[in-house]
Amino acid sequence: MIGIIEALINGLLMGSIYGLTAVGLTLIFGVMKIINFAHGSILMVGMFAAYWFVILTGWNPYFAIPVVVPLLYLFGYYMQSFVIKPIFEAEKDVREPITVIIVTTGIWYVLDNLALMIFGAEFRVAKTSVTGQIFEFYDMYFLVPKVIGAAITMVCAIYLYWFLKHSKMGKAIRATSLDREAASLMGIKQVKIYNVAFGLGSACCGMAACVLIPFYYVYPTVGVTFDIKAFIIVVLGGLGSIPGAILGGIIVGIIENVGAQFMASTWTELLLYGVFLFVLLVKPSGLFGMKQDF
Amino acid sequence: MKQLLNQKPIILLISALLLGALFLLPLVVTSPGLMQIFILIILYAYFTSTWNFVGGFAGVLPLGHSAFIGIGAYTSTVLFQTFGISPWLGMIVGGLLAAMMGVIIGLPTLKLRGAYFALATIAVGEGMRVLVENVKQVGPLMINGPSGISIKLTENSFSAFQFDSKLPYYYIILAMLLIVLLLTYFMMNSKIGYYLAAGGEEPEAAEALGIKVSRYRLIAMAISCFLAGLGGTFYAQLMLYIYPKSILGLDLSFEIAFIALIGGRGTILGPVLGALLLRPVSELTRIYFGSMLPGLHLVIFGLILIVVMRYYPKGLVEPVKILLNKLFINRLGKQGGPDGTDSAKKAD
Repeated sequence: MIGIIEALINGLLMGSIYGLTAVGLTLIFGVMKIINFAHGSILMVGMFAAYWFVILTGWNPYFAIPVVVPLLYLFGYYMQSFVIKPIFEAEKDVREPITVIIVTTGIWYVLDNLALMIFGAEFRVAKTSVTGQIFEFYDMYFLVPKVIGAAITMVCAIYLYWFLKHSKMGKAIRATSLDREAASLMGIKQVKIYNVAFGLGSACCGMAACVLIPFYYVYPTVGVTFDIKAFIIVVLGGLGSIPGAILGGIIVGIIENVGAQFMASTWTELLLYGVFLFVLLVKPSGLFGMKQDF
Repeated sequence: MKQLLNQKPIILLISALLLGALFLLPLVVTSPGLMQIFILIILYAYFTSTWNFVGGFAGVLPLGHSAFIGIGAYTSTVLFQTFGISPWLGMIVGGLLAAMMGVIIGLPTLKLRGAYFALATIAVGEGMRVLVENVKQVGPLMINGPSGISIKLTENSFSAFQFDSKLPYYYIILAMLLIVLLLTYFMMNSKIGYYLAAGGEEPEAAEALGIKVSRYRLIAMAISCFLAGLGGTFYAQLMLYIYPKSILGLDLSFEIAFIALIGGRGTILGPVLGALLLRPVSELTRIYFGSMLPGLHLVIFGLILIVVMRYYPKGLVEPVKILLNKLFINRLGKQGGPDGTDSAKKAD
């Protein structure tokens, strides 16, 4: 019994980190109506940035946040404005431009394989001051960096939610995701919003990358695992919904960790795909999705 | 058939010449290594053409076609290994199983918008790989998990789909490709093709006109998956060794989608053009840089994709068509009749 509770809490912790990556994905989808297939690769870029920061300075990994997060924001911002925007403009009238979706896949392959060429395929671990530390609570053991990471991601998600609800830029982003034309008639500059949304989505990845570094391996295709989980999460929670993404992340984390108590971990992966297809079959709008979005 | 012969004479001539060249190619190319490369080019053109039924005409983006290819490959192989059933029969069974799987997946997802369909097919493709990697055997059927299956060798025999030379493989896959291209042509010019085109651009408008878009998409999906399954069997018999990473999973699915989009999706010759351009790139980089820079061909694919989508969102078939028009039809303007002037305008 205690094992299951432990797995449940571990799932909750890991799930909130999955949730933050999914928040970035869902934000970009909400605004641009494209699935950013390069999302996991952006996370990979963030993880390598954080890894080298920790290795080169030897500081506490959480000091990487003020460096890596803005870096990833700029990375996303300029990737959208230089690579994606010209292709997006050509298909402005299509609601869901397939060409843009496939271009993000192209970016995924370029980034992943560039990393493979530059850093090699080996798994790297950053030895930091919190790595491997364990925290005991009523006979249950948790990794300290996981607990810190989950706390940080929760704060971020809540801040992002508040930002979208109340700040001026957030309102502009929400207006654009509701109705592009109406938003531009109100004087909202579309291109700017797209850039910012992409930047914010990437910054979410940067944050997740920083909290993952103390306890997760870094390797060139690390993004693929997170990518596919993020896809499952956003559909589970409803594409375009931020609370849905967080909740979906936690559900996925719990399925994965509790499932691993009963079966081999390779089977839990299959279980996730099963849950995903089931949700598509039964309620394609997900837990919080808007009806018009599917 | 009448429609087919009703083309401009110059186009018929060019196609006839190309076809003739393809049939006579083995006379010139005798090295088995080079032959293998040509077979793979045609095989990828075939895979991409089957993808095209859904990805090109139905207006959705399938990113998990390797699942159906893998079903075809594994079905025929397992049947042959366990019961000695000829792969030709296994091919049909595999195709039917793949089509069934396609319908099961398509039924709930083809109603949805493109993004959901793309995600669902990715999940199916990856799910299939994970499933096969986890299963050692089902009853008497050996699956062998991640280590894959080596097909029992027999001598040169048509019924076992194993040949000593590459020549029979070449003609079989060439015939399969031609059949798929003909099917594509007939579908494009049939009611289903028109309905799909209408549904691909504006599903709501098409629905409003009484077209059951999702039903026609489902038909396209079933055809596509059936044909992909047949291709899977061919791949298994050509390589005589299959393992999950080679034939299932994301890389193959994405390679097919990339070829289609770079060549030109929704056109008959786009997939062929894409395969013709991209397969040599991946073979050459694998031969010359494979040890030093393992991911190079995928970086090149990605970059080509981004650049092509930027300048020719409809794929490279577009500029090639314009070039051909300029080269032949303008020069033979009189034969082309009114079309000659028409294409000259397009070329500007």
